[in-house]
Amino acid sequence: MNKPFQKIYFDPYLFFSLFLLSSLGLFFLFSASNLDIYLVLKQMVYVIAGFIMMILVSQPDPDIFRRTSGLFLIFSLLLLGLTYLFGPEINGAQRWVRLGPFSFQSSELLKLAVPIFLASFLFNKKLPIQRQEIIISLLIICCCFFLVFRQPDLGTALIIACSGLFVLFLSGLSWTFIGGSFVVLIISSPFIWNILLQPFQRQRIATFFNPESDPFGASWNIIQSKVAIGSGGLLGKGFGEGSQTQLNFLPETETDFIFSVIGEEFGFIGVLLLISIYLFILLRCFYLALSARDRFCRLVIGGLSLTFAANLIINLCMVVGLLPVVGMPLPFISKGGSSLMSLFLAFGIIVSMGTHKKFLPQ
Amino acid sequence: MIFEERQIEKNNFSSRAILLFSLIIIGLVAVLIQVFTLQISGYSDYQLAALKNKNYAVPVQSLRGEIFDRNGKVLIKNEPTFDLITRPNLILNIDSFLEEIQPVIYLSETEKYRYTKLQKEKAFVNKELVLKKDLSDEEIARFNVRSFNFQNAFIAKRYRRISDYPDIFSHVLGYTSRTEDDFNSIPEIPRSHWKDVELTYAQGLIKGKTGLEEIYDEHLSGRHGQRVYEMNAKGQFLQPLSLTKPERGADLYTNLDIDAQKSAAKFLGNRKGAVVAIDLDSGGINVLYSSPGYSINKLSNGMSEDEFQALINNTDKPFFNRALQGRYPPASTIKPAIGMYGLSNNIVNWDFEMKDPGFFTLPETGRIFRGWRKGGHGMVNMHKAFLVSSNTYFFSLAYQADITELSNHLSSLGFGQKVCFDCFDEDKAFVPTPEWKYSIMNAGWLKGDTVNLGIGQGYLVATPMQLANYASILATKGQFIEPSLVALGNQKKALKIWKDEGFNDSDWRKMHQALLGVIESDYGTARSIRDLKEFQVAGKSGTAELVSLDSKEAYQKVRTSELLRDHSIIVAFGPMPNPRYAVSVVIENGESGGAVAGPVAIEVLKSLIDE
Repeated sequence: MNKPFQKIYFDPYLFFSLFLLSSLGLFFLFSASNLDIYLVLKQMVYVIAGFIMMILVSQPDPDIFRRTSGLFLIFSLLLLGLTYLFGPEINGAQRWVRLGPFSFQSSELLKLAVPIFLASFLFNKKLPIQRQEIIISLLIICCCFFLVFRQPDLGTALIIACSGLFVLFLSGLSWTFIGGSFVVLIISSPFIWNILLQPFQRQRIATFFNPESDPFGASWNIIQSKVAIGSGGLLGKGFGEGSQTQLNFLPETETDFIFSVIGEEFGFIGVLLLISIYLFILLRCFYLALSARDRFCRLVIGGLSLTFAANLIINLCMVVGLLPVVGMPLPFISKGGSSLMSLFLAFGIIVSMGTHKKFLPQ
Repeated sequence: MIFEERQIEKNNFSSRAILLFSLIIIGLVAVLIQVFTLQISGYSDYQLAALKNKNYAVPVQSLRGEIFDRNGKVLIKNEPTFDLITRPNLILNIDSFLEEIQPVIYLSETEKYRYTKLQKEKAFVNKELVLKKDLSDEEIARFNVRSFNFQNAFIAKRYRRISDYPDIFSHVLGYTSRTEDDFNSIPEIPRSHWKDVELTYAQGLIKGKTGLEEIYDEHLSGRHGQRVYEMNAKGQFLQPLSLTKPERGADLYTNLDIDAQKSAAKFLGNRKGAVVAIDLDSGGINVLYSSPGYSINKLSNGMSEDEFQALINNTDKPFFNRALQGRYPPASTIKPAIGMYGLSNNIVNWDFEMKDPGFFTLPETGRIFRGWRKGGHGMVNMHKAFLVSSNTYFFSLAYQADITELSNHLSSLGFGQKVCFDCFDEDKAFVPTPEWKYSIMNAGWLKGDTVNLGIGQGYLVATPMQLANYASILATKGQFIEPSLVALGNQKKALKIWKDEGFNDSDWRKMHQALLGVIESDYGTARSIRDLKEFQVAGKSGTAELVSLDSKEAYQKVRTSELLRDHSIIVAFGPMPNPRYAVSVVIENGESGGAVAGPVAIEVLKSLIDE
């Protein structure tokens, strides 16, 4: 590293790949929003703010995050509680909390708070992890999952659960326990289906398995998404030329289904390029995790980057028709400040964890 | 933690992280494979699906061909009318728009109501809406002057199917009516898109319902075009993308003759009846007239319910096409056919003479069959029998006939058959046989039935079309051509030949002389029409009895009821000796054939020949 960077904690690989990704994101969003320049400028403000925040968050020593992780979790839960009490209802769900002129989706913070807290809880535990510790961890995960699930926001709730479970798994959960819980999950699946899922969620899953049953109703989105992607072909129809996107046959083009816009207008080549950038980011995170200075950093980097990956893959699989429709944005591309902020926050923490080295090996 | 423990932890973390990252990579590869399947393998299907989403094809109605007579004069044409069409998406305030247009175009309350009701819906999807149909000349002029004020409205042509002779050609030309048959005519346009069809006719989608309009519907129709609009997910039309122009239907050149048809109508007057005339060179039907008729213009372009009901309930049955469907006993006009049968089968020859006492007694039962003239015609041979129309002669001839052979003979002359090549809904009428009588009446064929057949009474019935065809066989000495209203280039009509071993050229010559005598000689039954013309005409008249009566006195009583009076019939051809036209005339309840139907036949022949 050069001299000026010795004081600033900075990962050029992640920085530039994220820069490329969010720039492309703005470009795609311009087309997906039917050339709404105001929307793109607003998003650009978020991106710039995000980069600044990422760099700022990269600077503190990982130990500070470890020590404040409990407070951070409590703060996140409080914010979520505020949403329940005061949040406006949008599309039948209470997800937002207003902070002055900004509204913020409070559940986004939990995506960070849960893995960091669990990492700080587990980093010094002996291998294999004891039953008592597992139970405490699972209780925290379940608690956060249900709070978000009740909003209702199945997508975010699943991601939060994943983020916690990733940390638990990486910290050395015994295979017997994993096998056992799998059996429990399968046995309890009818219960989950009938009691926990909302009717519209059940409907989405049903149409996923039989999309032709209702081409104009619930499966409209997924059919139109496949038509958009498929009609893009190898090279795509060109910027602003996608008929599925521009004539509104494709739903939610600015948020969940923006990948279909990219597939339609930029074709297989565009998709390949986009996925390569994501893959590069993930491999870089993998490297940082392996070379991190201690167990806590490893767990946090692993937990956060895998959460990011899960988020990505669920969105991709949903829009190409490999998974039922769940509300889940495409990271760094979809419109929306909250998710972008929490992503930059996560990557700031990853950079902090990956670039702070201990100079005194024991 | 001690060093080994940390090392174990690190290794443990690494292997688990590798496992999870591998899963992530598998996930990404799965997505890529799926995208590849959609974009590369399934490209053509999905491209088509995307086009189907956005491209909305609207049919564009084609113009039907026009119909002409044999001299190229138009019989049915497309006449433009003008409708005021609006673009509702450009109208911001309906009330003020209606108020502005009110001084230019007269609008009734119902028109305004209907328009206001549909306006919003059409505006949303950027479609057009008709404000008023069939503008008057003044309205058009007023609008044109102010058209710059109305960017949201324009005048469009909509055609009507119009004939200048709507009443005299009603049955033969026929009318058009609205149809839904076209909904399947363009395979790539779904049925639901037809609600947005771009109309060319004021009446909407139409097809031939009767007459030539029906028979040659395919020829006249042309092909609908289509305009493709770009449409968004809300169903709004954004812009036209392409237009496949409709193909105008082909014109139809018929053998009909306006002047001759007019003569038929004029001289038939308001009596019920039918006239058919055939051009012997081509078999072309020059006249096909049935009286009374109705206005095809009104039927094609909208008729009030009351007017329609009046037509339906009219006891003269104007919709009934007497020329093709009227079943009339041919009466004495059948005598040449019976004569041909007798000569062919050597029952009689031209020299055979017999006494006509005015009646024929059936030997088996003693039943009396009366002639039309009390006291009879004295000694008659075949020539005289034709001239004076001796019933006794033909009773006696028919008495010696074999009914099956006679039926076959009549069928060979076109009776009981469809004879026209391209007529709408032609009736076969009827030639009786013993089998028929047994199956219908459960009674055996009697000799008396055959005897009655000899003078064209009894069970035998024929249409005026069949009578004209029969006249053309007589006129051409058997070398006739199948009658047709139109003969398209690709439709082959054959020269038909009627031939019999026992009936040779000399027989034909004598037959022509006899039939010429019917009109031109001093003794002919139809001599009253001799002086109406300057050329010579051959023919045979007849009087079809509707009630069978034994005496003239009894008939005088029947006469008082017009509907029971005899039908008057004539078949004729001319000019002799080289006839060019054959004609048949039937006048219902017209009585005495020669004197009543004869003049009509002569006038029709005159107008055909004079050209």
